[in-house]
Amino acid sequence: MRAVLQYWPVLVQGLCITVWVAVWVILGSVPGAVILGALRLSERRVFRLASMLFIEFIRAPSALVLLFWVFYALPLVPGMPRLSPLTAAILVLALDGAAYGAEMVRAGIQAVHVGQTDACHALGLSKLQSFTKVILPQALSQIVPNFGSLARSMVKWTAIVSFVGVQDLLYIGNNIRGQTFDAVTVFCLLATLYWILTVLCGVAFRVLEQVLPLNRALRAARMPSQAAPEADVQGGAQ
Amino acid sequence: MTWDWNFVLKILPRLMDGVWYTVLITLASSAIALGGGLVLAILETVSTTFGQAFVRFWLELFRGVPTLVLLYFTFYVLPEFGIVLPAVPIGIAVLGIVYAAYCSEVYRGSLITIPAELRDACVALHLSPYITWQRVLAPLMIKRAAPALLNYVLGLFRETAVLFALGVPVLMGEAHEVGYENFRFLEPYTLAGVIYLGMNLPFLYLLSKLKDKHA
Repeated sequence: MRAVLQYWPVLVQGLCITVWVAVWVILGSVPGAVILGALRLSERRVFRLASMLFIEFIRAPSALVLLFWVFYALPLVPGMPRLSPLTAAILVLALDGAAYGAEMVRAGIQAVHVGQTDACHALGLSKLQSFTKVILPQALSQIVPNFGSLARSMVKWTAIVSFVGVQDLLYIGNNIRGQTFDAVTVFCLLATLYWILTVLCGVAFRVLEQVLPLNRALRAARMPSQAAPEADVQGGAQ
Repeated sequence: MTWDWNFVLKILPRLMDGVWYTVLITLASSAIALGGGLVLAILETVSTTFGQAFVRFWLELFRGVPTLVLLYFTFYVLPEFGIVLPAVPIGIAVLGIVYAAYCSEVYRGSLITIPAELRDACVALHLSPYITWQRVLAPLMIKRAAPALLNYVLGLFRETAVLFALGVPVLMGEAHEVGYENFRFLEPYTLAGVIYLGMNLPFLYLLSKLKDKHA
């Protein structure tokens, strides 16, 4: 036990790398998920089909296979760059996250009432405007909770980056196991750390849910319900 | 480095061995996952606070810790207690147990959608609790949960690639080994990716069919 704890500086380093990768993967997957999810519902058949094929193409081989392909096989294709382990890992995991997140974005957008789109059309808003200003803010209150559980999975996905030589928590843990032969302590420690990370991630998303536009509006609508007559009086006075 | 078809033909039989292992492990672990998940879900509904707390702990543990860490843990810790198992059963058991936790959630979700009147009817008909579960509730649960369960089986199939870390010759492991033996990585990994892609198609077909049926 004590032998393992002696290695705490490297463990902290590994933890930092894991957190770094996880944060970038989660942030990187957001724009991809929104774009892919919106394209899935596009009016053009070509866009719908293309985004569906892309999503299935990314999801079908697991992130691990994709990571190995990008890291080992991609540089052998003429004209393709050799990515550093960290870049390859973040790129692949973010793509995977975007593919899984796109389905959530799609479901969230579909849950917004069709009348909203019609109203935007009637008000003369452009497609992009109505999507970013009206539809998406409402869809977010459905997307974010689902995305939160996906983000928890993404923290766990980062464990595979050790295979291409990124010195994350698991990589360091395996090294320590090799030096101290204390597998029980090392892996219990790793499990605890990963578990804490996923719980923290869940908490972060629950906080994020509180500040979403629709949830805030709903709260604001619920709060002054007793004070409504007062507001009416003020409105009348103006 | 250019694409070499002769090399492809040479390594294809070995990759097919990997496919065979992947299928075998997917079937075995999903059997554990689907069966274990059902048992866990029933256990949680039937039992008292202790059973519920146990299942909750189980779920939280497997939801928060990467499969890879659990695999390493089982692989390196069991020998310290004098239990030496080959990598294949360990892989099957760990994947099966982890996905059993996920599946139990799905079963529980579908159990909630079964109207309470149905249980009252079972009581009125004087069915024993065992018969109630076996003949009425469990079949309904399974039927309603089928699409979500299939999704998890698909996820399990994709996750079998991780087992190569323990040296299990799944498709990914075979591709890795062949690549290292010949110092050619383009063909094995690309082929592995394409084969994994192809093996997804039956799942996607089944899923779309199930969805049509339920919609």
